[in-house]
Amino acid sequence: MNDPSKPRKPVPVPAAVVGQFSWGLTILFVLASTCWVLLPYTGYLFSALVFLMAIVLAGTRWNRGPVLAMAAVSALVWNFIFIPPQFTLHIEKPQDITMFAMFFVVALSMGHLITRLREREAALEQTHREREELLAEKHRAELLAESERLHRTLLDSVSHELKTPIAIIRTALDGLGQGNPYAAEIETANRRLQRIVENFLEMTRVESEALKPRPDWCEVVDVLEQAMKPISHELALHVVNIRGVAEMPLVMLDSRLLAQVLGNVLHNATLYTPAGSEIEIFAALKDGALELRVRDHGPGLPPGKEGRVFDKFYRAPDSPAGGTGLGLAIARGLMRAMKGDIEARNHPTGGAEFVLRLPVKSRNPS
Amino acid sequence: MSKALIIDDEQQMRRLLRMVLESRGYEVCEAAEGQLGLQEAAFQRPDVVLLDLGLPGLGGIEVLKRLREWSDVPVLILSVRDHETVKIEALELGADDYVTKPFGTGELLARLDVIQRRRFTRQNPQIVAGALVLDLLHHEARLGDELLKLTPTEFALLKVLAEHAGRIVTQNQIAKQVWAGQSSDPSEGLRVHINHLRKKLGESGPRIVNEPGIGYRLNAD
Repeated sequence: MNDPSKPRKPVPVPAAVVGQFSWGLTILFVLASTCWVLLPYTGYLFSALVFLMAIVLAGTRWNRGPVLAMAAVSALVWNFIFIPPQFTLHIEKPQDITMFAMFFVVALSMGHLITRLREREAALEQTHREREELLAEKHRAELLAESERLHRTLLDSVSHELKTPIAIIRTALDGLGQGNPYAAEIETANRRLQRIVENFLEMTRVESEALKPRPDWCEVVDVLEQAMKPISHELALHVVNIRGVAEMPLVMLDSRLLAQVLGNVLHNATLYTPAGSEIEIFAALKDGALELRVRDHGPGLPPGKEGRVFDKFYRAPDSPAGGTGLGLAIARGLMRAMKGDIEARNHPTGGAEFVLRLPVKSRNPS
Repeated sequence: MSKALIIDDEQQMRRLLRMVLESRGYEVCEAAEGQLGLQEAAFQRPDVVLLDLGLPGLGGIEVLKRLREWSDVPVLILSVRDHETVKIEALELGADDYVTKPFGTGELLARLDVIQRRRFTRQNPQIVAGALVLDLLHHEARLGDELLKLTPTEFALLKVLAEHAGRIVTQNQIAKQVWAGQSSDPSEGLRVHINHLRKKLGESGPRIVNEPGIGYRLNAD
Protein backbone atom coordinates (compact mmCIF):
# COMPACT_ATOMS: atom_id res chain seq x y z
CA MET A 1 0.00 0.00 0.00
CA ASN A 2 0.94 3.59 -0.37
CA ASP A 3 2.84 4.90 2.62
CA PRO A 4 1.93 8.54 3.25
CA SER A 5 4.95 9.18 5.48
CA LYS A 6 7.28 8.40 2.63
CA PRO A 7 7.88 11.44 0.40
CA ARG A 8 6.64 10.52 -3.02
CA LYS A 9 9.02 11.14 -5.84
CA PRO A 10 7.60 13.65 -8.32
CA VAL A 11 7.37 12.12 -11.73
CA PRO A 12 9.82 14.27 -13.66
CA VAL A 13 9.25 14.26 -17.37
CA PRO A 14 11.79 16.99 -18.30
CA ALA A 15 10.86 17.30 -21.99
CA ALA A 16 7.16 17.70 -21.13
CA VAL A 17 7.95 20.27 -18.42
CA VAL A 18 10.06 22.34 -20.79
CA GLY A 19 7.21 22.14 -23.29
CA GLN A 20 4.81 23.35 -20.64
CA PHE A 21 7.04 26.36 -19.85
CA SER A 22 7.28 27.44 -23.47
CA TRP A 23 3.57 26.85 -24.10
CA GLY A 24 2.73 28.87 -20.99
CA LEU A 25 4.86 31.81 -22.11
CA THR A 26 3.39 31.67 -25.63
CA ILE A 27 -0.15 31.63 -24.33
CA LEU A 28 0.58 34.51 -21.98
CA PHE A 29 2.09 36.52 -24.82
CA VAL A 30 -0.96 35.95 -27.03
CA LEU A 31 -3.37 36.78 -24.17
CA ALA A 32 -1.40 39.85 -23.16
CA SER A 33 -1.38 41.16 -26.75
CA THR A 34 -5.12 40.56 -27.15
CA CYS A 35 -5.89 42.22 -23.84
CA TRP A 36 -3.65 45.12 -24.80
CA VAL A 37 -5.67 45.64 -27.94
CA LEU A 38 -8.94 45.31 -26.04
CA LEU A 39 -7.78 47.43 -23.10
CA PRO A 40 -9.64 50.63 -24.15
CA TYR A 41 -12.94 48.72 -24.31
CA THR A 42 -12.68 46.37 -21.34
CA GLY A 43 -10.62 48.00 -18.63
CA TYR A 44 -7.54 46.47 -16.99
CA LEU A 45 -9.43 44.15 -14.58
CA PHE A 46 -10.70 42.14 -17.57
CA SER A 47 -7.13 41.18 -18.48
CA ALA A 48 -6.51 40.04 -14.90
CA LEU A 49 -9.47 37.69 -15.14
CA VAL A 50 -8.29 36.34 -18.50
CA PHE A 51 -4.83 35.63 -17.02
CA LEU A 52 -6.40 33.93 -14.00
CA MET A 53 -8.52 31.74 -16.25
CA ALA A 54 -5.42 30.74 -18.19
CA ILE A 55 -3.63 29.83 -14.93
CA VAL A 56 -6.59 27.78 -13.70
CA LEU A 57 -6.82 25.91 -17.00
CA ALA A 58 -3.06 25.34 -17.05
CA GLY A 59 -3.24 24.15 -13.45
CA THR A 60 -5.65 21.38 -14.33
CA ARG A 61 -3.22 19.85 -16.79
CA TRP A 62 0.31 20.93 -16.03
CA ASN A 63 2.89 20.45 -13.35
CA ARG A 64 3.21 22.79 -10.43
CA GLY A 65 6.44 24.46 -11.66
CA PRO A 66 5.20 25.79 -15.03
CA VAL A 67 1.89 26.89 -13.47
CA LEU A 68 3.66 28.83 -10.74
CA ALA A 69 5.92 30.39 -13.34
CA MET A 70 2.88 31.34 -15.39
CA ALA A 71 1.32 32.93 -12.32
CA ALA A 72 4.49 34.92 -11.61
CA VAL A 73 4.88 36.08 -15.20
CA SER A 74 1.21 37.02 -15.60
CA ALA A 75 1.25 38.89 -12.27
CA LEU A 76 4.28 40.88 -13.38
CA VAL A 77 2.98 41.52 -16.91
CA TRP A 78 -0.38 42.58 -15.59
CA ASN A 79 1.21 44.80 -12.99
CA PHE A 80 3.68 46.34 -15.45
CA ILE A 81 1.52 46.79 -18.51
CA PHE A 82 -2.09 47.01 -17.35
CA ILE A 83 -2.32 48.49 -13.86
CA PRO A 84 -2.22 52.28 -13.82
CA PRO A 85 0.24 53.81 -13.54
CA GLN A 86 1.23 51.75 -16.58
CA PHE A 87 4.83 50.63 -17.24
CA THR A 88 5.74 50.72 -13.57
CA LEU A 89 5.65 47.99 -10.95
CA HIS A 90 3.94 50.39 -8.62
CA ILE A 91 0.44 49.46 -7.39
CA GLU A 92 -1.86 52.03 -5.81
CA LYS A 93 -5.26 50.54 -5.20
CA PRO A 94 -5.73 47.86 -2.50
CA GLN A 95 -7.99 45.79 -4.81
CA ASP A 96 -5.14 45.64 -7.36
CA ILE A 97 -2.78 44.39 -4.66
CA THR A 98 -5.34 41.77 -3.75
CA MET A 99 -5.70 40.75 -7.38
CA PHE A 100 -1.89 40.62 -7.71
CA ALA A 101 -1.70 38.32 -4.70
CA MET A 102 -4.63 36.34 -6.09
CA PHE A 103 -2.52 35.13 -9.01
CA PHE A 104 -0.20 33.35 -6.60
CA VAL A 105 -2.96 32.10 -4.32
CA VAL A 106 -4.80 30.58 -7.26
CA ALA A 107 -1.66 29.09 -8.77
CA LEU A 108 -0.53 27.62 -5.44
CA SER A 109 -3.87 26.17 -4.46
CA MET A 110 -4.43 24.79 -7.95
CA GLY A 111 -0.97 23.27 -7.82
CA HIS A 112 -1.65 21.81 -4.41
CA LEU A 113 -5.00 20.36 -5.42
CA ILE A 114 -3.68 18.92 -8.62
CA THR A 115 -0.67 17.38 -6.92
CA ARG A 116 -2.93 15.71 -4.38
CA LEU A 117 -5.21 14.48 -7.10
CA ARG A 118 -2.31 13.03 -9.02
CA GLU A 119 -0.91 11.40 -5.90
CA ARG A 120 -4.24 9.81 -5.23
CA GLU A 121 -4.38 8.59 -8.79
CA ALA A 122 -0.90 7.15 -8.49
CA ALA A 123 -1.80 5.49 -5.19
CA LEU A 124 -4.92 4.05 -6.77
CA GLU A 125 -2.87 2.72 -9.62
CA GLN A 126 -0.38 1.26 -7.16
CA THR A 127 -3.21 -0.45 -5.26
CA HIS A 128 -4.55 -1.73 -8.51
CA ARG A 129 -1.17 -3.13 -9.45
CA GLU A 130 -0.76 -4.71 -6.03
CA ARG A 131 -4.19 -6.25 -6.32
CA GLU A 132 -3.31 -7.66 -9.69
CA GLU A 133 -0.12 -9.12 -8.27
CA LEU A 134 -2.09 -10.59 -5.39
CA LEU A 135 -4.59 -12.06 -7.80
CA ALA A 136 -1.79 -13.54 -9.85
CA GLU A 137 -0.28 -15.03 -6.71
CA LYS A 138 -3.64 -16.45 -5.68
CA HIS A 139 -4.01 -17.92 -9.11
CA ARG A 140 -0.60 -19.57 -8.81
CA ALA A 141 -1.54 -20.95 -5.37
CA GLU A 142 -4.77 -22.29 -6.80
CA LEU A 143 -2.90 -23.97 -9.61
CA LEU A 144 -0.56 -25.54 -7.07
CA ALA A 145 -3.48 -26.71 -4.93
CA GLU A 146 -5.13 -28.07 -8.04
CA SER A 147 -2.03 -30.05 -8.97
CA GLU A 148 -1.79 -31.31 -5.40
CA ARG A 149 -5.42 -32.32 -5.54
CA LEU A 150 -4.84 -34.09 -8.83
CA HIS A 151 -1.85 -35.85 -7.35
CA ARG A 152 -3.92 -36.96 -4.38
CA THR A 153 -6.76 -38.12 -6.60
CA LEU A 154 -4.32 -40.13 -8.66
CA LEU A 155 -2.75 -41.58 -5.53
CA ASP A 156 -6.21 -42.38 -4.17
CA SER A 157 -7.27 -44.15 -7.31
CA VAL A 158 -4.01 -46.09 -7.62
CA SER A 159 -4.32 -46.96 -3.96
CA HIS A 160 -7.90 -48.13 -4.51
CA GLU A 161 -6.96 -50.20 -7.55
CA LEU A 162 -4.08 -51.92 -5.78
CA LYS A 163 -5.77 -52.49 -2.47
CA THR A 164 -9.08 -53.81 -3.75
CA PRO A 165 -7.67 -57.08 -5.12
CA ILE A 166 -5.67 -57.54 -1.92
CA ALA A 167 -8.84 -57.02 0.09
CA ILE A 168 -10.70 -59.51 -2.09
CA ILE A 169 -7.98 -62.14 -1.67
CA ARG A 170 -8.06 -61.59 2.07
CA THR A 171 -11.82 -62.00 2.29
CA ALA A 172 -11.77 -65.04 0.00
CA LEU A 173 -9.03 -66.66 2.11
CA ASP A 174 -11.07 -66.07 5.25
CA GLY A 175 -13.91 -67.86 3.45
CA LEU A 176 -11.66 -70.88 2.77
CA GLY A 177 -11.08 -71.19 6.48
CA GLN A 178 -8.05 -72.17 8.52
CA GLY A 179 -6.16 -75.38 8.18
CA ASN A 180 -5.36 -75.44 4.49
CA PRO A 181 -1.57 -75.11 4.18
CA TYR A 182 -1.84 -73.74 0.63
CA ALA A 183 -4.23 -71.06 1.76
CA ALA A 184 -1.84 -70.19 4.57
CA GLU A 185 0.92 -69.62 2.00
CA ILE A 186 -1.34 -67.39 -0.07
CA GLU A 187 -2.22 -65.47 3.04
CA THR A 188 1.41 -64.87 3.94
CA ALA A 189 2.14 -63.72 0.39
CA ASN A 190 -0.92 -61.49 0.39
CA ARG A 191 0.13 -59.85 3.64
CA ARG A 192 3.55 -59.24 2.14
CA LEU A 193 1.99 -57.79 -0.99
CA GLN A 194 -0.17 -55.52 1.08
CA ARG A 195 2.86 -54.32 2.96
CA ILE A 196 4.75 -53.58 -0.27
CA VAL A 197 1.82 -51.70 -1.77
CA GLU A 198 1.38 -49.67 1.37
CA ASN A 199 5.09 -48.90 1.49
CA PHE A 200 5.18 -47.73 -2.11
CA LEU A 201 2.13 -45.54 -1.62
CA GLU A 202 3.51 -44.15 1.61
CA MET A 203 6.89 -43.42 0.00
CA THR A 204 5.12 -41.52 -2.78
CA ARG A 205 3.19 -39.58 -0.19
CA VAL A 206 6.30 -38.74 1.83
CA GLU A 207 8.20 -37.63 -1.27
CA SER A 208 5.38 -35.55 -2.70
CA GLU A 209 5.23 -33.69 0.63
CA ALA A 210 1.47 -34.19 0.53
CA LEU A 211 1.94 -35.26 4.09
CA LYS A 212 0.77 -32.87 6.78
CA PRO A 213 1.19 -34.02 10.38
CA ARG A 214 -1.84 -33.33 12.52
CA PRO A 215 -0.60 -33.38 16.12
CA ASP A 216 -3.05 -33.98 18.91
CA TRP A 217 -2.74 -35.01 22.54
CA CYS A 218 -2.21 -38.72 22.85
CA GLU A 219 -0.91 -41.47 25.05
CA VAL A 220 2.31 -43.19 24.07
CA VAL A 221 0.74 -46.54 24.93
CA ASP A 222 -1.82 -45.96 22.15
CA VAL A 223 0.96 -45.22 19.68
CA LEU A 224 2.65 -48.48 20.60
CA GLU A 225 -0.51 -50.48 20.31
CA GLN A 226 -1.27 -48.95 16.93
CA ALA A 227 2.28 -49.67 15.75
CA MET A 228 2.23 -53.30 16.81
CA LYS A 229 -1.26 -54.29 15.69
CA PRO A 230 -0.59 -54.58 11.93
CA ILE A 231 2.55 -56.67 12.49
CA SER A 232 1.24 -58.85 15.30
CA HIS A 233 1.94 -61.98 13.18
CA GLU A 234 5.61 -61.11 12.83
CA LEU A 235 6.02 -59.89 16.40
CA ALA A 236 4.47 -63.08 17.74
CA LEU A 237 7.73 -64.85 16.82
CA HIS A 238 9.71 -62.58 19.15
CA VAL A 239 9.79 -61.60 22.77
CA VAL A 240 8.76 -57.95 22.96
CA ASN A 241 9.63 -56.03 26.12
CA ILE A 242 8.35 -52.51 26.66
CA ARG A 243 9.74 -50.15 29.27
CA GLY A 244 8.98 -46.62 30.39
CA VAL A 245 5.66 -46.28 28.60
CA ALA A 246 3.32 -46.54 31.58
CA GLU A 247 4.91 -43.50 33.28
CA MET A 248 4.66 -41.32 30.16
CA PRO A 249 2.72 -38.04 30.33
CA LEU A 250 0.35 -37.05 27.55
CA VAL A 251 2.26 -35.89 24.48
CA MET A 252 1.28 -33.74 21.54
CA LEU A 253 2.03 -35.52 18.27
CA ASP A 254 0.51 -37.16 15.20
CA SER A 255 0.02 -40.62 16.64
CA ARG A 256 -0.84 -42.20 13.30
CA LEU A 257 2.45 -41.12 11.71
CA LEU A 258 4.57 -41.98 14.71
CA ALA A 259 2.86 -45.39 14.97
CA GLN A 260 3.76 -46.00 11.35
CA VAL A 261 7.40 -45.09 11.94
CA LEU A 262 7.60 -47.33 14.98
CA GLY A 263 5.77 -50.10 13.11
CA ASN A 264 8.28 -49.96 10.26
CA VAL A 265 11.24 -50.04 12.65
CA LEU A 266 9.75 -52.96 14.57
CA HIS A 267 8.95 -54.82 11.37
CA ASN A 268 12.52 -54.29 10.26
CA ALA A 269 13.70 -55.76 13.54
CA THR A 270 11.53 -58.85 13.05
CA LEU A 271 12.97 -59.31 9.54
CA TYR A 272 16.64 -59.16 10.50
CA THR A 273 16.77 -60.97 13.81
CA PRO A 274 16.36 -64.66 14.54
CA ALA A 275 12.96 -65.92 15.66
CA GLY A 276 12.63 -66.05 19.42
CA SER A 277 15.08 -63.21 20.03
CA GLU A 278 14.15 -60.28 22.20
CA ILE A 279 13.03 -56.87 20.90
CA GLU A 280 13.10 -54.09 23.48
CA ILE A 281 11.26 -50.78 23.33
CA PHE A 282 12.25 -47.96 25.68
CA ALA A 283 10.28 -44.73 25.97
CA ALA A 284 11.59 -41.61 27.70
CA LEU A 285 11.05 -37.87 27.73
CA LYS A 286 14.33 -35.93 27.38
CA ASP A 287 14.77 -32.17 26.98
CA GLY A 288 11.29 -31.61 25.61
CA ALA A 289 11.56 -34.49 23.18
CA LEU A 290 10.00 -37.92 23.15
CA GLU A 291 12.64 -40.58 22.69
CA LEU A 292 11.69 -44.07 21.59
CA ARG A 293 14.47 -46.65 21.37
CA VAL A 294 14.02 -49.98 19.65
CA ARG A 295 16.78 -52.44 20.37
CA ASP A 296 17.04 -55.88 18.84
CA HIS A 297 19.38 -58.78 19.56
CA GLY A 298 20.25 -59.69 16.00
CA PRO A 299 23.52 -59.42 14.11
CA GLY A 300 23.48 -55.59 14.14
CA LEU A 301 24.14 -53.17 11.30
CA PRO A 302 27.14 -53.17 8.92
CA PRO A 303 29.74 -51.18 10.91
CA GLY A 304 30.47 -47.72 9.55
CA LYS A 305 27.37 -47.80 7.35
CA GLU A 306 24.71 -47.58 10.04
CA GLY A 307 23.13 -44.47 8.52
CA ARG A 308 22.74 -46.06 5.09
CA VAL A 309 19.84 -48.21 6.24
CA PHE A 310 17.64 -45.12 5.84
CA ASP A 311 18.52 -44.75 2.14
CA LYS A 312 15.76 -45.57 -0.26
CA PHE A 313 16.02 -49.14 -1.63
CA TYR A 314 19.10 -49.83 0.48
CA ARG A 315 19.28 -53.43 1.55
CA ALA A 316 21.99 -54.67 3.83
CA PRO A 317 24.29 -57.32 2.35
CA ASP A 318 23.00 -60.86 2.96
CA SER A 319 19.50 -59.57 3.78
CA PRO A 320 16.80 -62.18 3.76
CA ALA A 321 14.62 -62.28 0.63
CA GLY A 322 11.60 -60.04 0.61
CA GLY A 323 11.39 -56.42 1.66
CA THR A 324 11.62 -53.41 -0.55
CA GLY A 325 14.24 -51.37 1.23
CA LEU A 326 11.61 -48.71 1.77
CA GLY A 327 10.42 -49.24 5.35
CA LEU A 328 13.21 -47.32 7.05
CA ALA A 329 13.37 -44.66 4.33
CA ILE A 330 9.69 -44.01 4.99
CA ALA A 331 10.35 -43.98 8.73
CA ARG A 332 12.94 -41.28 8.29
CA GLY A 333 10.74 -39.29 5.89
CA LEU A 334 7.86 -39.39 8.33
CA MET A 335 10.05 -38.42 11.31
CA ARG A 336 11.40 -35.43 9.40
CA ALA A 337 7.91 -34.42 8.28
CA MET A 338 7.12 -34.27 12.00
CA LYS A 339 10.29 -32.22 12.69
CA GLY A 340 11.91 -35.11 14.47
CA ASP A 341 14.66 -37.52 13.45
CA ILE A 342 15.69 -41.14 13.56
CA GLU A 343 19.10 -42.64 14.06
CA ALA A 344 20.55 -46.13 13.80
CA ARG A 345 23.53 -47.53 15.67
CA ASN A 346 24.99 -50.73 16.96
CA HIS A 347 24.50 -51.34 20.64
CA PRO A 348 27.82 -51.76 22.52
CA THR A 349 26.70 -55.16 23.74
CA GLY A 350 25.35 -56.34 20.39
CA GLY A 351 22.28 -55.90 18.25
CA ALA A 352 20.98 -52.86 16.43
CA GLU A 353 19.39 -49.90 18.12
CA PHE A 354 17.10 -47.35 16.48
CA VAL A 355 16.47 -44.06 18.23
CA LEU A 356 13.41 -42.00 17.34
CA ARG A 357 13.48 -38.44 18.65
CA LEU A 358 10.54 -36.09 18.37
CA PRO A 359 10.18 -32.67 20.02
CA VAL A 360 6.82 -32.68 21.80
CA LYS A 361 4.72 -30.71 24.20
CA SER A 362 3.85 -32.87 27.17
CA ARG A 363 1.43 -32.72 30.05
CA ASN A 364 1.03 -34.80 33.18
CA PRO A 365 -2.42 -36.35 33.34
CA SER A 366 -2.74 -36.24 37.12
CA MET B 1 -33.33 -63.26 9.62
CA SER B 2 -31.53 -59.98 9.03
CA LYS B 3 -31.46 -58.37 5.65
CA ALA B 4 -28.21 -56.71 4.58
CA LEU B 5 -27.74 -54.23 1.74
CA ILE B 6 -24.29 -54.05 0.15
CA ILE B 7 -23.48 -50.84 -1.73
CA ASP B 8 -20.10 -51.32 -3.42
CA ASP B 9 -18.97 -50.77 -6.98
CA GLU B 10 -16.60 -53.76 -7.01
CA GLN B 11 -18.51 -56.77 -8.31
CA GLN B 12 -16.11 -59.27 -6.81
CA MET B 13 -16.31 -57.59 -3.44
CA ARG B 14 -20.11 -57.70 -3.56
CA ARG B 15 -20.08 -61.37 -4.54
CA LEU B 16 -17.71 -62.28 -1.71
CA LEU B 17 -19.57 -60.23 0.87
CA ARG B 18 -22.80 -61.90 -0.28
CA MET B 19 -21.23 -65.33 0.27
CA VAL B 20 -19.89 -64.37 3.69
CA LEU B 21 -23.17 -62.82 4.82
CA GLU B 22 -25.39 -65.59 3.41
CA SER B 23 -23.30 -68.18 5.17
CA ARG B 24 -24.17 -66.31 8.35
CA GLY B 25 -27.88 -66.43 7.61
CA TYR B 26 -28.27 -62.93 6.23
CA GLU B 27 -30.62 -62.24 3.38
CA VAL B 28 -28.57 -60.09 1.00
CA CYS B 29 -29.39 -57.44 -1.58
CA GLU B 30 -26.85 -55.33 -3.38
CA ALA B 31 -26.31 -52.19 -5.43
CA ALA B 32 -23.35 -51.21 -7.60
CA GLU B 33 -23.76 -47.47 -7.22
CA GLY B 34 -25.07 -44.84 -4.85
CA GLN B 35 -28.34 -43.87 -6.46
CA LEU B 36 -29.39 -47.50 -6.88
CA GLY B 37 -28.28 -48.16 -3.34
CA LEU B 38 -30.65 -45.51 -2.02
CA GLN B 39 -33.51 -47.02 -4.05
CA GLU B 40 -32.74 -50.49 -2.75
CA ALA B 41 -32.62 -49.13 0.80
CA ALA B 42 -36.10 -47.66 0.28
CA PHE B 43 -37.60 -50.76 -1.35
CA GLN B 44 -35.92 -53.58 0.55
CA ARG B 45 -35.86 -51.94 4.00
CA PRO B 46 -32.60 -53.67 5.03
CA ASP B 47 -31.67 -54.19 8.69
CA VAL B 48 -28.10 -53.16 8.04
CA VAL B 49 -26.23 -51.38 5.22
CA LEU B 50 -22.62 -52.01 4.16
CA LEU B 51 -21.51 -48.86 2.38
CA ASP B 52 -18.30 -48.42 0.40
CA LEU B 53 -16.98 -44.85 0.66
CA GLY B 54 -15.19 -44.85 -2.71
CA LEU B 55 -18.25 -45.08 -4.95
CA PRO B 56 -18.12 -43.49 -8.39
CA GLY B 57 -20.78 -40.91 -9.15
CA LEU B 58 -22.83 -40.33 -6.05
CA GLY B 59 -20.13 -40.86 -3.38
CA GLY B 60 -20.50 -42.83 -0.20
CA ILE B 61 -20.70 -39.71 1.99
CA GLU B 62 -23.51 -38.29 -0.15
CA VAL B 63 -25.39 -41.61 -0.05
CA LEU B 64 -25.10 -41.66 3.73
CA LYS B 65 -26.33 -38.06 3.99
CA ARG B 66 -29.41 -38.78 1.88
CA LEU B 67 -30.08 -42.09 3.61
CA ARG B 68 -29.99 -40.42 7.00
CA GLU B 69 -32.66 -37.96 5.91
CA TRP B 70 -35.29 -40.64 6.25
CA SER B 71 -33.73 -43.77 7.75
CA ASP B 72 -31.79 -44.72 10.87
CA VAL B 73 -30.79 -48.17 9.61
CA PRO B 74 -27.37 -49.16 11.01
CA VAL B 75 -24.63 -48.36 8.48
CA LEU B 76 -21.19 -49.96 8.38
CA ILE B 77 -18.63 -48.08 6.29
CA LEU B 78 -16.14 -50.02 4.16
CA SER B 79 -13.11 -47.94 3.27
CA VAL B 80 -9.44 -48.12 2.53
CA ARG B 81 -6.89 -46.75 4.95
CA ASP B 82 -5.67 -43.14 4.62
CA HIS B 83 -9.23 -41.86 4.73
CA GLU B 84 -9.21 -40.69 8.33
CA THR B 85 -10.95 -37.38 7.73
CA VAL B 86 -13.56 -39.01 5.51
CA LYS B 87 -14.16 -41.69 8.12
CA ILE B 88 -14.73 -39.04 10.78
CA GLU B 89 -17.08 -37.21 8.44
CA ALA B 90 -19.04 -40.41 7.82
CA LEU B 91 -19.25 -41.27 11.51
CA GLU B 92 -20.44 -37.80 12.38
CA LEU B 93 -23.02 -37.94 9.62
CA GLY B 94 -24.49 -40.96 11.34
CA ALA B 95 -22.54 -44.01 10.16
CA ASP B 96 -22.36 -46.53 12.99
CA ASP B 97 -18.86 -47.90 12.48
CA TYR B 98 -16.30 -48.71 9.82
CA VAL B 99 -13.96 -51.47 8.75
CA THR B 100 -10.80 -50.80 6.80
CA LYS B 101 -10.08 -52.73 3.61
CA PRO B 102 -8.53 -55.26 3.58
CA PHE B 103 -10.54 -56.47 6.56
CA GLY B 104 -10.83 -59.83 8.26
CA THR B 105 -14.18 -61.54 7.92
CA GLY B 106 -14.35 -62.06 11.66
CA GLU B 107 -13.89 -58.36 12.29
CA LEU B 108 -16.55 -57.49 9.73
CA LEU B 109 -19.13 -59.86 11.20
CA ALA B 110 -18.41 -58.71 14.74
CA ARG B 111 -18.92 -55.07 13.76
CA LEU B 112 -22.16 -55.93 11.98
CA ASP B 113 -23.43 -57.70 15.08
CA VAL B 114 -22.57 -54.80 17.35
CA ILE B 115 -24.17 -52.10 15.25
CA GLN B 116 -27.39 -54.08 14.89
CA ARG B 117 -27.71 -54.66 18.61
CA ARG B 118 -30.34 -52.04 19.12
CA ARG B 119 -28.92 -48.92 20.54
CA PHE B 120 -29.31 -48.37 24.21
CA THR B 121 -32.93 -47.66 25.11
CA ARG B 122 -33.78 -44.82 27.45
CA GLN B 123 -36.33 -46.84 29.39
CA ASN B 124 -33.58 -48.81 31.01
CA PRO B 125 -31.63 -46.95 33.71
CA GLN B 126 -28.80 -49.47 33.41
CA ILE B 127 -26.08 -49.88 30.84
CA VAL B 128 -24.30 -53.21 30.78
CA ALA B 129 -21.08 -53.73 28.86
CA GLY B 130 -19.45 -57.02 29.75
CA ALA B 131 -18.53 -56.94 33.43
CA LEU B 132 -19.21 -53.23 33.56
CA VAL B 133 -22.60 -52.01 34.82
CA LEU B 134 -23.57 -48.34 34.89
CA ASP B 135 -26.49 -47.38 37.12
CA LEU B 136 -27.75 -44.11 35.66
CA LEU B 137 -30.25 -43.60 38.46
CA HIS B 138 -27.64 -43.51 41.22
CA HIS B 139 -24.69 -42.47 39.06
CA GLU B 140 -22.77 -45.57 40.04
CA ALA B 141 -20.43 -47.71 38.04
CA ARG B 142 -19.62 -51.28 38.99
CA LEU B 143 -17.00 -53.55 37.57
CA GLY B 144 -18.03 -57.02 38.67
CA ASP B 145 -18.68 -56.59 42.39
CA GLU B 146 -16.40 -53.63 42.77
CA LEU B 147 -17.79 -50.08 42.93
CA LEU B 148 -15.68 -47.73 40.80
CA LYS B 149 -14.87 -44.31 42.22
CA LEU B 150 -15.44 -41.99 39.29
CA THR B 151 -15.63 -38.22 39.02
CA PRO B 152 -18.80 -36.87 37.33
CA THR B 153 -16.86 -36.23 34.11
CA GLU B 154 -15.38 -39.73 34.12
CA PHE B 155 -18.83 -41.18 34.68
CA ALA B 156 -20.26 -39.17 31.78
CA LEU B 157 -17.39 -40.26 29.57
CA LEU B 158 -17.74 -43.91 30.50
CA LYS B 159 -21.49 -43.66 29.91
CA VAL B 160 -20.98 -42.42 26.32
CA LEU B 161 -18.49 -45.19 25.61
CA ALA B 162 -20.61 -47.90 27.26
CA GLU B 163 -23.75 -46.81 25.41
CA HIS B 164 -21.81 -47.46 22.23
CA ALA B 165 -19.89 -50.47 23.57
CA GLY B 166 -17.97 -52.16 20.77
CA ARG B 167 -18.55 -49.22 18.47
CA ILE B 168 -16.29 -46.32 17.60
CA VAL B 169 -17.23 -42.93 19.06
CA THR B 170 -15.49 -39.92 17.55
CA GLN B 171 -13.72 -37.35 19.71
CA ASN B 172 -16.26 -34.75 18.68
CA GLN B 173 -19.19 -36.94 19.60
CA ILE B 174 -17.66 -37.59 23.02
CA ALA B 175 -16.81 -33.92 23.58
CA LYS B 176 -20.33 -32.87 22.60
CA GLN B 177 -21.98 -35.25 25.05
CA VAL B 178 -19.56 -34.90 27.94
CA TRP B 179 -18.57 -31.24 27.78
CA ALA B 180 -21.43 -29.87 25.68
CA GLY B 181 -18.89 -27.73 23.86
CA GLN B 182 -17.83 -25.95 27.05
CA SER B 183 -14.24 -27.09 27.20
CA SER B 184 -11.70 -24.95 25.41
CA ASP B 185 -9.53 -27.91 24.43
CA PRO B 186 -11.70 -31.03 24.66
CA SER B 187 -8.95 -33.14 23.12
CA GLU B 188 -6.55 -32.57 26.01
CA GLY B 189 -9.24 -33.03 28.66
CA LEU B 190 -10.44 -36.15 26.92
CA ARG B 191 -6.98 -37.79 26.99
CA VAL B 192 -6.58 -36.96 30.66
CA HIS B 193 -9.91 -38.50 31.59
CA ILE B 194 -9.40 -41.53 29.35
CA ASN B 195 -6.04 -42.04 31.04
CA HIS B 196 -7.69 -41.96 34.49
CA LEU B 197 -10.56 -44.20 33.37
CA ARG B 198 -8.16 -46.78 31.98
CA LYS B 199 -6.32 -46.88 35.30
CA LYS B 200 -9.59 -47.29 37.20
CA LEU B 201 -10.88 -50.00 34.86
CA GLY B 202 -7.63 -51.87 35.40
CA GLU B 203 -6.17 -54.66 33.32
CA SER B 204 -8.99 -57.15 33.51
CA GLY B 205 -11.99 -54.89 32.81
CA PRO B 206 -13.29 -53.57 29.51
CA ARG B 207 -10.58 -51.94 27.42
CA ILE B 208 -10.77 -48.43 26.00
CA VAL B 209 -9.12 -48.68 22.61
CA ASN B 210 -7.89 -45.62 20.75
CA GLU B 211 -8.34 -45.32 16.98
CA PRO B 212 -5.74 -42.68 16.09
CA GLY B 213 -7.17 -39.45 14.81
CA ILE B 214 -10.73 -40.76 15.07
CA GLY B 215 -11.84 -41.62 18.57
CA TYR B 216 -12.35 -44.38 21.09
CA ARG B 217 -14.01 -47.74 21.32
CA LEU B 218 -14.95 -49.59 24.50
CA ASN B 219 -14.23 -53.28 24.04
CA ALA B 220 -16.26 -55.11 26.65
CA ASP B 221 -16.02 -58.70 25.55
